[in-house]
Amino acid sequence: MPLWLELAVSVLLTYGLGLGIGWLIWKRKG
Amino acid sequence: MLQMIEANWLIFVAALVIGIVVAFWIFAHGSKKPGERTHRPDVLDEGAAPAQRNQALIDSASPASQYDLPVPGVDEADTREKQPAHIDPPAAAGTMAGIGEVIAVAAQEEADEARSHKADEEAAKAQEPTPEAEAPKAEDAPAAAPAPEESAPAPEEPAPAPATEAQSDDLRKIKGLGPKMQKLLVSLGVTTYAQIAAWSEADLDELDGKLGAFAGRPRRDKWVEQARFLAEGNTASYEAEFGKL
Repeated sequence: MPLWLELAVSVLLTYGLGLGIGWLIWKRKG
Repeated sequence: MLQMIEANWLIFVAALVIGIVVAFWIFAHGSKKPGERTHRPDVLDEGAAPAQRNQALIDSASPASQYDLPVPGVDEADTREKQPAHIDPPAAAGTMAGIGEVIAVAAQEEADEARSHKADEEAAKAQEPTPEAEAPKAEDAPAAAPAPEESAPAPEEPAPAPATEAQSDDLRKIKGLGPKMQKLLVSLGVTTYAQIAAWSEADLDELDGKLGAFAGRPRRDKWVEQARFLAEGNTASYEAEFGKL
């Protein structure tokens, strides 16, 4: 696995994590 | 892996922040509840004038009836002489939500106005030399003996006109029946409401065949029913069903 792909996948996952966190915060906020 | 995150932590933080912001953005827009409406627009917000104008348009005869369209085969030749400036509605007038008709009517009105101005000017010019033209006639009259014979039938000519007018009705009171259609009907011998009221389905079919572009209008505008009320003089019922006369 090339390094750039690893980096891209990791960044995308982090982005998805951010999306999930954002959604949770939004839900809590009501 | 950890080494990589450590080395590029800024990118990961940025991705996380962007993710959160995007989530907020999506949900803030997606679940927006419609706010309570405080402004309730009313037709009279712009004043009564537009509403009155619209009502007048609704009450008046349909725009197409204001055209003096030549009826093919009936009076093509003489209308061309009488009405040099004639504007036809666009072919798709009926399919343009009426806007084509409105524009054509406006153009026709302008043309009519221009023509009436011209006619007024010509009439003013023509009136000036009339006293001179009449003078020699007056001299001729006593000289020629058979002159009274010539002048005698002249007064008779206008006499029958009022008589027929008294018998005939103003067909244009029927909504959807314009000047051209009236001419056509008169040429067919239809001059009274009673005649129209007595039309059968077969008569309507026959008439449709002669109306060209206006075919179907008598049925659509319910001429027979309109004429029935008008023949009875039942204005109240007429206005209740068809609007103001």
